[in-house]
Amino acid sequence: MQLENRGYAGAVLRINLKLGRTKVEQLEEDIARLLLGGKGLGSYLLYKTAPKGVDPLSPQNPLIFATGPLTGTLAPSSGRFCVVTKSPTTGTMNDSHCGGFFGPELKYAGFDAVVIEDSSDEPVYLLIKNGEAELQPANGVWGKTTVETETTLRKNLGEEYRVASIGPCGERCSPIAGILTDMRSAGRGGTGAVMGSKKLKAIAVKGSKPVGVHNQGKFEKMAWIAQRALRMNETTVRSLPEYGTANILMMINQTGALPTRNFQTGRFPEAEKISGETLRDTLWVRDIACMGCTIKCSKIAALKAEPYLGTKVDGPDYETLFSLGSNCGVGDTEAIAYTNHLCDLYGMDTISTGCIIAFTMELYEKGILTRKELGGVDAKWGSPGALVALTESIGKGVGAGNLLQWGVRNMSERLPGSEPFALHVKGLEVPGYEPRAAQGMGLGYAVSDRGGCHLRAYTAGTELCGYGGGADPKAYDQGKVQLAIDREDEKAVVDSAVICFFTLFGMRLKEVYQMIEPCTGFNYGSVRELKNLGARVVSLTRMFNVREGFERKDDTLPKRFLENPLPDGPAKGEVVHLEPMVQAYYELRGWDENGVPTSETLKSLQIDKILK
Amino acid sequence: MSKILDPPDGRGVVVAADHGFMLGSIEGVEDLEGTLSRVVEGRPDAILLSPGQAARLNHLFRGRDAPALLVRADWTNAFRDKTYTLPARTVHRRAVAEARDAISLGASAIVTYYFMGHSDDEREAQNLRLMASFARQCDKMGLPLIVEPLPMGERVTGANFADLATAAVRIAAEAGADAIKAVYTGDVETFSSLVKAAGIPVLILGGAKAKTLRDALEIVDEALEAGAAGVVYGRQVLQASDPAQFVRSVRAIVHEGKTVLQVLNPVTGPVRLRVFPERCTRCRVCELICTSTHGQGFSPAAARLRVEFLGVDSYKPVTCTLCGQCIKACPTDALSFHPELHYVQLNPERCNGCMDCVQACPVKVVRFDEQRSLPIICDMCRGAPSCGLWCQPEAIVTERQKERKNDAA
Repeated sequence: MQLENRGYAGAVLRINLKLGRTKVEQLEEDIARLLLGGKGLGSYLLYKTAPKGVDPLSPQNPLIFATGPLTGTLAPSSGRFCVVTKSPTTGTMNDSHCGGFFGPELKYAGFDAVVIEDSSDEPVYLLIKNGEAELQPANGVWGKTTVETETTLRKNLGEEYRVASIGPCGERCSPIAGILTDMRSAGRGGTGAVMGSKKLKAIAVKGSKPVGVHNQGKFEKMAWIAQRALRMNETTVRSLPEYGTANILMMINQTGALPTRNFQTGRFPEAEKISGETLRDTLWVRDIACMGCTIKCSKIAALKAEPYLGTKVDGPDYETLFSLGSNCGVGDTEAIAYTNHLCDLYGMDTISTGCIIAFTMELYEKGILTRKELGGVDAKWGSPGALVALTESIGKGVGAGNLLQWGVRNMSERLPGSEPFALHVKGLEVPGYEPRAAQGMGLGYAVSDRGGCHLRAYTAGTELCGYGGGADPKAYDQGKVQLAIDREDEKAVVDSAVICFFTLFGMRLKEVYQMIEPCTGFNYGSVRELKNLGARVVSLTRMFNVREGFERKDDTLPKRFLENPLPDGPAKGEVVHLEPMVQAYYELRGWDENGVPTSETLKSLQIDKILK
Repeated sequence: MSKILDPPDGRGVVVAADHGFMLGSIEGVEDLEGTLSRVVEGRPDAILLSPGQAARLNHLFRGRDAPALLVRADWTNAFRDKTYTLPARTVHRRAVAEARDAISLGASAIVTYYFMGHSDDEREAQNLRLMASFARQCDKMGLPLIVEPLPMGERVTGANFADLATAAVRIAAEAGADAIKAVYTGDVETFSSLVKAAGIPVLILGGAKAKTLRDALEIVDEALEAGAAGVVYGRQVLQASDPAQFVRSVRAIVHEGKTVLQVLNPVTGPVRLRVFPERCTRCRVCELICTSTHGQGFSPAAARLRVEFLGVDSYKPVTCTLCGQCIKACPTDALSFHPELHYVQLNPERCNGCMDCVQACPVKVVRFDEQRSLPIICDMCRGAPSCGLWCQPEAIVTERQKERKNDAA
């Protein structure tokens, strides 16, 4: 049976940058049924395409853009795509997700996924239009910022084109480089560096092919029910629409989980200044949504302070307010928003950027880095000037940026005595939830398939915000581990479907299940079976990481979280009790004591069939 | 139970007003007596109160047409979420009144929670024990027991929620509940299984205030279709701008068998689309629902309207204004205003595919279907535009046409 008109375009585009050769492959129905699309499909294509042990920045590492069956449909918040590749930041697989309008456009152009292989000798961009693709020289845009690139290409090609591009940071293959479109970012894990290593500046896409679904009437009804569920939930109808992801900032600060001054504490004295409530009253001028989204968590900030006047930026969101704000001790929202803007222009991840600067500030405090080594920047905690100057230097790769642009792990390897302050998991800088104040997040960071990531096993909502009745943040028992697994599986489903994770604050996996059937015609029989698809994807990504040499000793956390008790807040005195949680996690996942899925697990999840 | 569930149809409309007990003075219950006196005008079958308020406001329940009184017999901190001044860290539940207290207050039934899904099995057992002890008391005193089973705790997941809600309902029935106040699972199919599993009357609870009356009423309608015996609505009613009218609307569906559309009476017939540019969030749901409604799958490139992007913070929907320029431009009279509904209609047999209409459209919403060589023109969905219904920020609103422009027709 054809996958066309069942939520899929039915085709995968492969393009070899060296030879400029394109090939269109059919999407296999079996793979679609077992993995849906997005993260699942991308991980499969990565496993099959990348040779074992591939250097992430070598031509042999593929760069994969993937959509899912719900992309570009009426399913809530379905305007997304994901980028899958072997990460130069961590050496693990990496899927970075991004909103805007690019994902749906790719599907309207006739492709569920694009696999980019090899690398070009000269800078190029990829032009995709209604089932056809060609390479174009990137003259005039190479070296330019993401916004300039996007604007230039859309001006030349037509406004109907959607453009995903890298900035100068990606061109230099910095491991914190992301891929941006519509001022949104597939930020984490260095996807932009892989794109830069291939000398691929951008992808411009336009399409007018309709995306059909298996049962249009039923699908429309289920999409309405899903939208309605979002309308009837406080978080998705009020908190996120009004205050964006920053709606939780004060709550996270109260629970002592807002990382402050490079995770020295979980409470930021100036939290109120950087809260969603304050931003709503001061900087934000308009709520914006990605395609198909009624939550509209994005906010446009219009800066008014003298040096930043006239700047407009999408954000800052919670993670950015933590990384560039509390984690650097900075309470100046104009400076944070401007730094966010710089990150967008140069094409770099705001989380990693902020964490690098926080690390730098702590090394400066400890005397490990001097003002001279930082190109004259007085990197004091809380200095808006230092925040902007260091970000600028990273973006341009000059001065202090020569050192900083390579990320926390690389810096700690080069700077003797800095290791205790280097907060990363597998090389990826740690995001905005203090794990000592939420044990489940500690587990999530340690076992996540792409290193320090909060968006795999997101237990923080339950542990810190009381969603679904809440869970004790201090508990590290089997119940907590099961919670982490449930969240991770559900996340893997929506990441493969592909819809925004935030929908799960308002609706449940049931609503996703009820849309998937009329969309694809795949009948999974029960919501549980769909959740099991998430478990399949998680074990599949684990299999990739195992193949690349990761094992139990890598599923750990920085010593600060394991050995130094949190100094204040409700979780004062806590460390992360990681070992018992990791052990229980492996057992409940059906992985052996080294974190490798057992052959029975691979069989019961049908991964053996996928990988054969 | 007959006091709560109207004997002729066995259905009930109950208003819950016990929120102050769990959350303090939230919106709608500040002046509880004032709000309830308005609620009573809408003639609910029963009202649920905490023991203290039941004693204080007892006068509201006197008289032949007065609602029945239900008394909340337990307390919990479970609903103190992150936005609450003092959020709950672990969930607790305690008995606060016995069956005989409720009887002396003149109650027709007591209402208690039952939570299922905690990671601590001991806590789950305590929950059951508490429910069972209420059931024994009620049995002895001959007082009906309404149980509100809720999936609650760390083990509740998106995947098991509906199953857990169904199991908890059945367990409550087995423990001796006479009726159930249940969370609506979100759709007819899963809720039907819940109602079947219960085997006793099931009333749905309202939860947080719905954004639109339509959503609230749709859910009532669907729940009844799934076999529910009525509703227990709290904040939906108490926070409504006109609580009496809200209760009357719900009664119309529950007791009078009216449809949502009959109650809402939406605009139909000759309509136009009014655009509020500043409300648009650029989600483009209007483009998606447009082609879906017209059976073309999802294809913004073929939508009969468009969202215009002017800058990072500037965008707006552009829709057919019914200006008639396309009709004037058409050399073959293939386009005309519909005689009754007054939208632009196309006679494909007359169309020669010249695209003059595409050129003539001053707002550029007439597109061209290359394959069929025909223009694609907004038909106002023949009187009930989907975009107006689906546009959540209400940037596109359906309005009745005020005057006809007959010059072009």
